[in-house]
Amino acid sequence: MEKTAELKSFEFRACVSLVKAMGKKATTLRELRDLMASVSDNSILHHTCEYFLKGHILEHTNDFAQWAAEGLEERALAEHLSNIDSFGFNRVEDLRAELIRVIEDYLEKFPEPREAMEGDEFYFLQAVTLIFPLGIRAQNLAEFLLGMRYVEAASISYHFYEARMLFGKGVDDFSVWVEEALGKAELAARIRSIDPFMHDAEGIRSHIIAEIEAEVERDMEAV
Amino acid sequence: MISRYSGIAPKGDLLLIRKLAENLRGKSFLHVNSTRSGGGVAEILQRMVPILEGIGIDAKWEVIEGNERFFDITKKIHNALQGNPEEITPEMWEYHFEVNRSNAANLNLDANAVLIHDPQPLPLIEFKKKGKWIWRCHIDLSNPRRAIFQSLRRYCEKYDAAIFSVSKFAQAMPVNEFIVPPSIDPLSTKNRELTQEEIDETLLKFQLPADRPMVLQVSRFDRFKDPLGVIAAYRAVRKYNDCFLVLAGSPATDDPEGEAVLKEVQELSAGDPDIHILLLPAFSDIEINALQRSAAVIMQKSVKEGFGLTVSEAMWKGKPVIGGATGGIPLQIVHGITGFLVHSVEGAAFRTRQLLNNPEMAKKMGENARESVKNNFLITRQIRDYLSVWYSVENEGRSILAL
Repeated sequence: MEKTAELKSFEFRACVSLVKAMGKKATTLRELRDLMASVSDNSILHHTCEYFLKGHILEHTNDFAQWAAEGLEERALAEHLSNIDSFGFNRVEDLRAELIRVIEDYLEKFPEPREAMEGDEFYFLQAVTLIFPLGIRAQNLAEFLLGMRYVEAASISYHFYEARMLFGKGVDDFSVWVEEALGKAELAARIRSIDPFMHDAEGIRSHIIAEIEAEVERDMEAV
Repeated sequence: MISRYSGIAPKGDLLLIRKLAENLRGKSFLHVNSTRSGGGVAEILQRMVPILEGIGIDAKWEVIEGNERFFDITKKIHNALQGNPEEITPEMWEYHFEVNRSNAANLNLDANAVLIHDPQPLPLIEFKKKGKWIWRCHIDLSNPRRAIFQSLRRYCEKYDAAIFSVSKFAQAMPVNEFIVPPSIDPLSTKNRELTQEEIDETLLKFQLPADRPMVLQVSRFDRFKDPLGVIAAYRAVRKYNDCFLVLAGSPATDDPEGEAVLKEVQELSAGDPDIHILLLPAFSDIEINALQRSAAVIMQKSVKEGFGLTVSEAMWKGKPVIGGATGGIPLQIVHGITGFLVHSVEGAAFRTRQLLNNPEMAKKMGENARESVKNNFLITRQIRDYLSVWYSVENEGRSILAL
């Protein structure tokens, strides 16, 4: 049943990650593993969940996988690391442990991986995230659809990727609002089923718009 | 001022700048460097300070004074930080400090935030009275002479934060170290839109054909920019494609090595009417702009590079750039998407042929390149980041800041 009572509006926001160096770098896979065990949670999240804010070509799903492929030329390891669902962990500790487990398994099978060339080392970073409103609010699905069409890609990235890990919700902002404010659980489920690893922000935008348009069409047919 | 960037810079950047300015309005933001004109730092400050004033920040810019001895010493420090062997004696360090002491007595260093640019004014931190002090290092510190950096570290560690252009330039220090890449100004003479008449005028001035594809490299005649490699690559391309080569740069009158390189370039290209060596005087911004806009392919075939902002300048003009995979160039070019990264003369030649034979691909790559610069390398992003660093230092210890 759809909610008709007072609706909480959706405020479109965006974020900017201000990158900070940690003064730690790895030249070998073992150094990467050892530093991975000791760096801050923020750094692990920056190199995994925030990967999608950096506008990469989607060949990998986190910075560690990218370095394994391009810095160490260990392509199989890159595939293993890319296969980790960084949004699928409730605690950063569990994500960190999984990353380390994959590297240790690899080192057991291939104990002498290549070293990075000078200049290709892995530099550990972390981020300060600045969140700001774009001045666009949606009160209903039609306004939400308009907002989805016209907000900047940075806002899509914030609500779809960054927000799910910033506040430990594990799900994107869009589907939460659609479910909680509009009572559209099925639409929310369809938004949640969009694979976060397979699209850039524009791809995410297109998929969500298509789902909303289909929903609006179904609503109109029902009338 | 900031409104002039509407429709050019990303809306989000402009919004965040305004939000940060609301929080920092009326506060003072002092920049200190060592020259009012010439060089990338002065160039960006000339544009940035009025923009900051326009958004309600009390922005100020001071320049330290020094004599020839001082600047000889700081040049040596600069070179050593970039990896060259240099000897700085204790007397030289003492002089570096003393010149800063006398500048501190003459300058008004009272501000809520003070951004000190590069090593020349670094010791001013010893005369801090109030505010947050941030050291902005524009130099490639990836492989510094250790002893020299150790001598500077005593100053660096007294700052509230440091800013480097690339993560590999950051040093292990007990201060917050932020990464803020440099930027270009899309409204400057070097980067603004040009009329066809302005472009044609430049081509006419240098007697360059408008109806044949131009391969261009804009850079000093310096071995690290590999102009001889560019000529070799061009000759390999000419076997298959009609095109002409333009190497444009300022004559290096104060650099004996540069003169030698220029002589070699002139000897190698002698007798080839399709290789144009253009010696441009300083401030030839409109000519460089016109050449970049006329080129079919732009190279920055460096073998060693700091950040290499000429790459972003060319990309902003919608051109596919072939860049050496060194320094800051891989941060600007996404291989195969916004340009090509190469490691050899052969690679540069092959990619040039690819672009000349696939104008549609070159066009798409150029569009991607412009979009990438829009999102990452415009002056508005750098202003956004400087204000963000300041705001973050004011809110020390917080990793999420909601505005």
